[in-house]
Amino acid sequence: MTELAVLVPEALVLVGALAALFAERLPGGDRTGARLGAALTFAAALSAAAIGVTRPIAGGTLAYDAIARDARVAVSALTALYLLWLSGSSIERTREMAAFAQFAALGGMLMASAQDLATLFIAIELGTMPAYVMMGYERSDARALEGSLKYYLLSMTTSLVMLYGFSLLFGLSGTTRFDHAGALSPEGLLGSFAIVFALSGMFAKLSAAPFHFWTPDAYAGAPASAVAFVSTVPKIAGVAALLRLSAALSAGDLLPLYFGAAALASMLLGNFGAYPQRDVRRLMAYSGIAHSGYVLLALGAGSASALAYAIIYAVPSFAVMVVASEEGTAIDDWGGLVQRRPAVAWALVVLLLSLVGVPPMAGFFGKVAVFGAALDAGRTALVVVAVVMSVVSAGYYFKLIRQAFFGQAVLIASEERVRPGWTSGLTIGIATAATLLLAVVLASAGALSLPGVGG
Amino acid sequence: MTSHLLSAIVFLPLAGAAVCALVPSARASRALALVTSGMVLALTVWLVAAFDPHAGMQFVERARWIPQIGSEYHLGVDGMSLPMLALSALLSVLAVVASWNVAERPKTYFALLMLLEVGMNGVFVALDFVLFYVFWELVLVPMYFLIAWWGGPRRQYASLKFFLYTLFGSVFMLVGIIALYLHPAGGTLDMVALAGRGFPERFQMWVFAAFFLGFAVKVPVFPLHTWLPDAHVEAPTAASVLLAGILLKMGTYGFIRAALPILPEASRAWAPVVAALAAISIVYGAALAFAQTDLKKLVAYSSVSHMGFVMLGIAAGTPEGISGAVAVMFSHGVVTGMLFLLVGMVYERTHTRMIEDVSGLSVQVPVAGGLLAFASFASLGLPGLSGFVGEFLSLLGAWKSALVPSGWVIVSAVGVLLAAAYMLTMVQRVVLGEPSEAVAGIADLTLREIGVLVPLAALTLTVGVWWDSLLRYVAPAAAELAQKVMGS
Repeated sequence: MTELAVLVPEALVLVGALAALFAERLPGGDRTGARLGAALTFAAALSAAAIGVTRPIAGGTLAYDAIARDARVAVSALTALYLLWLSGSSIERTREMAAFAQFAALGGMLMASAQDLATLFIAIELGTMPAYVMMGYERSDARALEGSLKYYLLSMTTSLVMLYGFSLLFGLSGTTRFDHAGALSPEGLLGSFAIVFALSGMFAKLSAAPFHFWTPDAYAGAPASAVAFVSTVPKIAGVAALLRLSAALSAGDLLPLYFGAAALASMLLGNFGAYPQRDVRRLMAYSGIAHSGYVLLALGAGSASALAYAIIYAVPSFAVMVVASEEGTAIDDWGGLVQRRPAVAWALVVLLLSLVGVPPMAGFFGKVAVFGAALDAGRTALVVVAVVMSVVSAGYYFKLIRQAFFGQAVLIASEERVRPGWTSGLTIGIATAATLLLAVVLASAGALSLPGVGG
Repeated sequence: MTSHLLSAIVFLPLAGAAVCALVPSARASRALALVTSGMVLALTVWLVAAFDPHAGMQFVERARWIPQIGSEYHLGVDGMSLPMLALSALLSVLAVVASWNVAERPKTYFALLMLLEVGMNGVFVALDFVLFYVFWELVLVPMYFLIAWWGGPRRQYASLKFFLYTLFGSVFMLVGIIALYLHPAGGTLDMVALAGRGFPERFQMWVFAAFFLGFAVKVPVFPLHTWLPDAHVEAPTAASVLLAGILLKMGTYGFIRAALPILPEASRAWAPVVAALAAISIVYGAALAFAQTDLKKLVAYSSVSHMGFVMLGIAAGTPEGISGAVAVMFSHGVVTGMLFLLVGMVYERTHTRMIEDVSGLSVQVPVAGGLLAFASFASLGLPGLSGFVGEFLSLLGAWKSALVPSGWVIVSAVGVLLAAAYMLTMVQRVVLGEPSEAVAGIADLTLREIGVLVPLAALTLTVGVWWDSLLRYVAPAAAELAQKVMGS
C-alpha cells in the first residue's frame, strides 16, 4: 500500500468539507453539502476500517495501529451520522455546519494517528478551530457568542500551555517523535513541568477536572446541535491522542498519580455538578466531565479500553444532544415526550441507561473494561469511587427519563427548537442500535479485552 | 428438542414483549402476553418432568458469546435453580391474568411484564457471570417503569429508590466479578468452573463483601431493606407479586449460586455476621409488620422477616439449612404472591388498604376472606402448609451448624412467634367480625380471580403436606453445596 492510499479516509473527508463550503454552487444548495458529506464521511469510515492496521507513514510521524484505526472509524462514522441528521434538519446555513464538522473530523482523524509533537499540535488545532465557529453558530444570539468566546479563549489558553509543555519536551529530549525509544522521558524538575504542562493541555481538551470549568458555560451558550458534535467527536480523537502520548511519556511515579488525581476529581466534580442542573446541555457537560474521569481511570492504567469507553460514551451523548436540539434544552421542555414521540422516548431510555452503565447496553461493557483495567493496575480505591459515582449518575440521568415519561408537556420551549426532519428518527435510531450492539462489535474487534487475562 | 429448552424459556417472552408492543389492539397484546407466558410455563413443566434430581447441572447450553472478554453464552439448571425457574414461570402467568383489567397503556404494560420475565428466567439459568449480570440488571428497567407508571401516589420516589438501591449493590457485585476474573486463580467468567478454584481467603473476604452488597440489597437484608416497603406499597399488584415472589429471590439465589460455592472460606468466615443480620431482619421485619396499619405494608415487612429465614439457612451452610432456604424461597414466592393478589383484589373493591377500614371479609365475601385466612396461616408457618417446611429446616440447619451462634437461632425462632402474632391479629381484624362500611356491598372474587389464586393455594397445600414434592429436587443439590462450603 502506498503512503497516500492510507490517507484515503482523510482525503474523502477533506473533499466533503470543501464541497460543503461551495455547496451554494451545487444543485440542491445547502442540503446537498450535508448529504454529500454524510456519504463521503461514511465512505471514509468504511475505508478506514478496510485499511485497518498498517505501518506508519510520513516518515513515522503518523502511526496507523489499532488505536488509530478504531478512532478514525469512530470519528468518521459519528461525523457521518451528524451530517445525516443535519441534512434533514431545519437549521439554516447547513453547509457551514457541514463544512466545519468535516474539518473538525479531519483534525480528529489526524490527531488519532499523530505520533509527533508538532503533528499532534497541528492536528489538535485543526480539530478545535472549526469547533469554535460551530459553537458560535447562532451569531445573532449574545449568549451563543459569549459561549463561543469562552470556548475560544480557554481553548486557546490550554493550547498554549500544551504547546509550552511540548516545546519543553522537545528542548529536553531533542526529539518530537513518540516512537524513538525512551525519547520523551525527560527527568528532573523541568521534565516534570514539561509533562504536567503537556498533559494539562490535553486534559483541558477532554474537559477533565480541574480544567473543566469552561465546559458547562460554553456548552450552555452554544446551540444544542453544535454541542452534539463538539462534545463527542473531538473527545474520541483526544483520547486516542492522549493514549499514544502518555505511552510515550514516562515519568516515574508522577504519571499514574497525575492521572489518578484528575480521574478522581473529574468523577466527583462531574457527577455532583450534574445533579442540580436544569439545562440539558449543562447536565451533559458535567456528565461529560465525569465520563472523562472514567476515561482517565483507564488511561492511568495504560489500557486501550479508554478509547473503547470514549467511543461507547460518545454515541449515546451525541444522540441525547440531538434530542435536546429538537425538544428543547431545558429539562422541563422534555415533558410529555412519550406522547409526542414515543419511539424517541424509548430510545432515550436505552441511550441514558447506557450512559449509566446498565447492561445489555454498550455502556456496561465499557465500564467493565475500564473497571477491569483499573483493578488490574491495583487501583481498587478509585474503582470503588467510580462505582459509587456511576450510581450517582443514574440519579441525574433519570431526571431526563422521568421528565420524558412522566412530566407535563410544555407548550412553548425555553429556546427555539430545531424542527425534526425525516433524518432525525433515522439518526437517533442508528445511534440507539449502535448503543445496543456496539459492545459486541467492539469486543469482536478486540478493543474491549479485559486486561490481565488473554482472550 | 430439549437441547435449546432453556433458551426458549428465557427468550420466548422477549419475542412476546416485542409483539405485545407492536400489535394494534390492547386486547390482542393482553392475549399475547397470556399465550407467551403460558407457553413458557408449559415448557417449564416439561423441563421439570424431564429433570433428574441426581444428575447435577442439566440442559446445559454453551456457545461462544464475547470471547474477547472471556464471556460465554452458558445456561443450565440444577436443583437450586429449578424451583425458582418454575416459580418465575408460574407467577408470570398469574401476573398477566391478575393485570387483565389494566386500562392505562396496556400494550406497554404487558410488554414490560414480558421483558421482566426474560430477566427473571435468565438470572436463574445463567452460568456465565456476564450473562448473569446482564439478566440481573435487565430486571430493573421494566420494574422501574411498572412502578413509576402504574403505581400509587408516591410512585416516582419509590421507583427511583428501588432502581438506585439495587444498582448500588449490583455495581459492587460487578467489581467482585471482575476481581474474580482478573485473579490469577480465576481467569474465567464461568460460574461453575470458578467454584473449584480455591481463591486465597483474604481475597475471598473482599469479593464476598462486594457480592454481599449486591445480593443483600436485593434480598433485602437489614439495614439495606428500606427500598422494599416503598416499592411494594407503590407498585401495582402484579409488580408487587413479582417483586416479592421472584426479585427478592434473585438476591438469595445469588448467595447460593455464586457466593457460597465460589467463596466457601469467606462464606464460613462471614457466616456469623450474615446470621446476625438474618436474625435481626427476622425480628425487626416482624416487629414492623406488627405495627403496620396498611395491609400491603404489613405483607411487605413480613417479607423482610421471611427472607431473613432464607439468609439464616444460607449462613448455616448445612444441607438442612440450604434446603430450608430454597424451600422458604419457593414457599414465600407462592404465599406472598397470594397475599399481595388478595390485598390488591380487596383494594380494587374497597379503595382502601387500611386494616381498620376493612373488616368482616368472611361475612361479606367468604371466598376472599377464606383465602386470605388460608394464605395468612401459610405465611405464619402453620404445619401442613408450605411455609412450615422451609422455616423448620432453616432453623434446624442453623441450630446444627457450627458456623451460626446458637443465640441468633433462638432470636430467629422468636420471629416465628411474632409472625403468628401479627398474622393472627390481622386475620382477626380483617377477616372476622362485622363487615365495615368499606366492605359492605362489595362483590366476592370473580372466577378469573379465583383462577389466579387456586393454583397457588394448591401448591401451598401440596408442598405443605408432601414435602418431598419440592425437596426431592432441592436436597441433592443442597447436600452437594453444603459439602463444598463445609468440606474445603
